Amino acid sequence: MEKQFTVKNPQGIHARPAGAIMKKASEFAATQISLELNGRKISAKSITGVLTLGMKAGDAVTVSAEGDQAEQAVEAVGAVIESVLD
Amino acid sequence: MFGLFGKKKKQVSIAAPITGKAVALDQVPDAAFSQKIIGDGIAIEPTEGVFVAPFDGTIVHLIDSHHSLVMASDEGVELLVHIGINTVSLQGKPFTPHVKSGDKVKKGDTLIEFDIAQIKEAGLPTITPVIIANGDIVAELKAHEGNVTAASSPVIEITLK
Repeated sequence: MEKQFTVKNPQGIHARPAGAIMKKASEFAATQISLELNGRKISAKSITGVLTLGMKAGDAVTVSAEGDQAEQAVEAVGAVIESVLD
Repeated sequence: MFGLFGKKKKQVSIAAPITGKAVALDQVPDAAFSQKIIGDGIAIEPTEGVFVAPFDGTIVHLIDSHHSLVMASDEGVELLVHIGINTVSLQGKPFTPHVKSGDKVKKGDTLIEFDIAQIKEAGLPTITPVIIANGDIVAELKAHEGNVTAASSPVIEITLK
């Protein structure tokens, strides 16, 4: 299961939005959730991983998941990626 | 004695990255840090605008607006330091980075210089969360509050799993 989401936060995914993405991903304990951008793929449950993707406004990020509730996990994490947290 | 007691768990002591006053994370006016969503650690109210490497390691990621970075120690401990709160909005102005992502650094090397007065003039807190970014490798964490000197005073002591 994978789907693309677009970053809308004008400041990109800095520490606070990255924390929100990691927190949402961690709610799906039995699911492997990955984010991919520009050929780099990282675990959505790692704050370092999420930050190192360097997601900026307008970037299309691929969210993929395997395991329990994969579809719900992709949609939930994608919604956080598209939300604008200041 | 012949491994009867198993492998001793590894302890890691992390020095303050900034000179100032170390306080509990719940003093940080940002829930992402105070509620430990990003991770556990401590916060430092800086008295000097110099962020130095608290251990030998690698710069994993310098954030674009230069107010935050993640570095990793040779043991694999990842440390996130975020200078001030909401400082992403300053678009890098008060921050002078001396490193880039991928650089190897030694304990005490200057990583980012920052202008405390400029951050305060912008109406933003200068309190700086210092967070273990990969808490999954940590069995136990102790944070030490009080006045600290960069690259010298231990602020976080962790036992690895």
